[in-house]
Amino acid sequence: MQTAISKQEKVRLFAFFLGLVLFLFSLSLFPRVTIPLSVAYVISLIFNPLIPVVMRFGLKRSTSVNLVFTAILFLFTYPLIKITPTVTSEAQNVQYYLPKVESFLKTEYRNITERIEKRTGYVVGNDLLDNSLSYGQKATTEILLQIPKYLGSIIEWIFLVPLFVFFILKDGKSFKSNFLKIVPNSIFERFYYLSHQFNRQLGDYIFAKFVEASIVGVIISTGLFIMDVRFALLLGLVAGLTNVIPYLGPILGTVPAIIFGLAEYGWGPTFGAITVLYVVANSIDIALVFPILVSKIVNLHPLMVVISVILGSTFFGVMGMVISIPLAAAFKLISIEIYNELYGVKSR
Amino acid sequence: MTKNSFEKDIETSKELPPKLDIPILKYFWQSNPLFTSNKNSIPRFLRKIKVLENFSDYELRLLSKALHLRQFSDGETIFNQNDIGVGFYFIFSGRVDIIVEDDQRVSDSSNESKLNHVVSLDKMDYFGELALLQQQSVRNATALARESCQLLGIFKPDLENLINTNPTIATKLLQAVSIITANRLFSVTNEVRRLKFKIKQLESQNANSN
Repeated sequence: MQTAISKQEKVRLFAFFLGLVLFLFSLSLFPRVTIPLSVAYVISLIFNPLIPVVMRFGLKRSTSVNLVFTAILFLFTYPLIKITPTVTSEAQNVQYYLPKVESFLKTEYRNITERIEKRTGYVVGNDLLDNSLSYGQKATTEILLQIPKYLGSIIEWIFLVPLFVFFILKDGKSFKSNFLKIVPNSIFERFYYLSHQFNRQLGDYIFAKFVEASIVGVIISTGLFIMDVRFALLLGLVAGLTNVIPYLGPILGTVPAIIFGLAEYGWGPTFGAITVLYVVANSIDIALVFPILVSKIVNLHPLMVVISVILGSTFFGVMGMVISIPLAAAFKLISIEIYNELYGVKSR
Repeated sequence: MTKNSFEKDIETSKELPPKLDIPILKYFWQSNPLFTSNKNSIPRFLRKIKVLENFSDYELRLLSKALHLRQFSDGETIFNQNDIGVGFYFIFSGRVDIIVEDDQRVSDSSNESKLNHVVSLDKMDYFGELALLQQQSVRNATALARESCQLLGIFKPDLENLINTNPTIATKLLQAVSIITANRLFSVTNEVRRLKFKIKQLESQNANSN
């Protein structure tokens, strides 16, 4: 029996969706609030699964949140203090290495073009190299020039993000139940269930990605460290960060290491070792970590994953690549629900 | 000067106003049967429900935190037959009608499906318990609010959270739900046995008359 929705309910539905859209729109208007808030939300998603584990020891929710939060602070602060000086000194050293890399690239390029000229008689010219090098220089200087601008907001975030994380962990549940009070009756069950499923998928995905990136980063850092390669920590960090991007990330993470390895050590055993290390780390990732952790969670076809990553990068850049998969998962959930509704599929 | 007058006041005044005893006042205020703060009234309400007997008071308080209080106005649909459901409801106040529509439509009669009123539920009754247990539960009947009523709903996500955070409470809740379903199953089995017997009787009657 499809009873007609009463007028009052229609008004409620309209007001609810209008409010939701206005809220999202206003969030996009104030990036100074939205960015730390979303960063805090992602961090809280990573650590949310720990709270039930702690609560199972018979602790109250507030106590376990405090415990987990202290652990997070310790976990983040201690390595930051220990690692930051090393990373900064490495990053400072990178600028002295850049000319070396540049000259290496030039000589290699010349060799290759000469070989091509000898074999085929086709003159490649220096435009390609000059263009790409100047583009690289420009991009680097731009990033370096932007740093002071971002530094102010980063300092703001250092205070804001932990605050948000704490309150999202502590009061997230009551925020949610208060929000659910205004969800209209006629869509309540469906809305609650869908949002719960989506939230869980997002949380699981982000948690899995976090674990995956840390595993790759740690393997590469320790491997490079054992081989006594310079910038071990920095390269590991880059590999871990780029690993968040699906499919493209591992390649992006390998490129700087390959260029640097060639420039520093030439075609030698060290370069071979670096390549083997990256191949091993990425194959561990692809063969073990990814199938066990990630792909089970977001039940998407690889083709869909690649397409959504490309679409995400065209609309929102690098950030879009990272958020494309959760968005695609949400889209899939909602479209399955709509399909079931329209075609009346009631599988048991 | 002022002190004197103050003392004088005390001496001359015949009787002092009786001292207000705040804790006792508070006690009487809170033990007032009409006093309904949400914090106390929901666990107290759950205490009266028979299937939740095995919960301690503290556990009921924790359970009440997982429940959602929903308001329905008169005549509003709570859920429709054949909807996918995820919620189990207790009636906190008001009245709810459970209605079953017949799926088989007689072709020559009116196009509207026939409605069968099954049962009226009152305060402290519950319905929709199968939704918590089944994987993708389809509602067997339609529930309509028959007065402006308040329902306490617990939904699958809440149950999942409870299983993770408070396994004892989740277990007790599932125990309660399985008691309900077991009782229903028992009565259904009896009904089936009775019907089978009746069919046999009719068949034998038929055989005799032929």
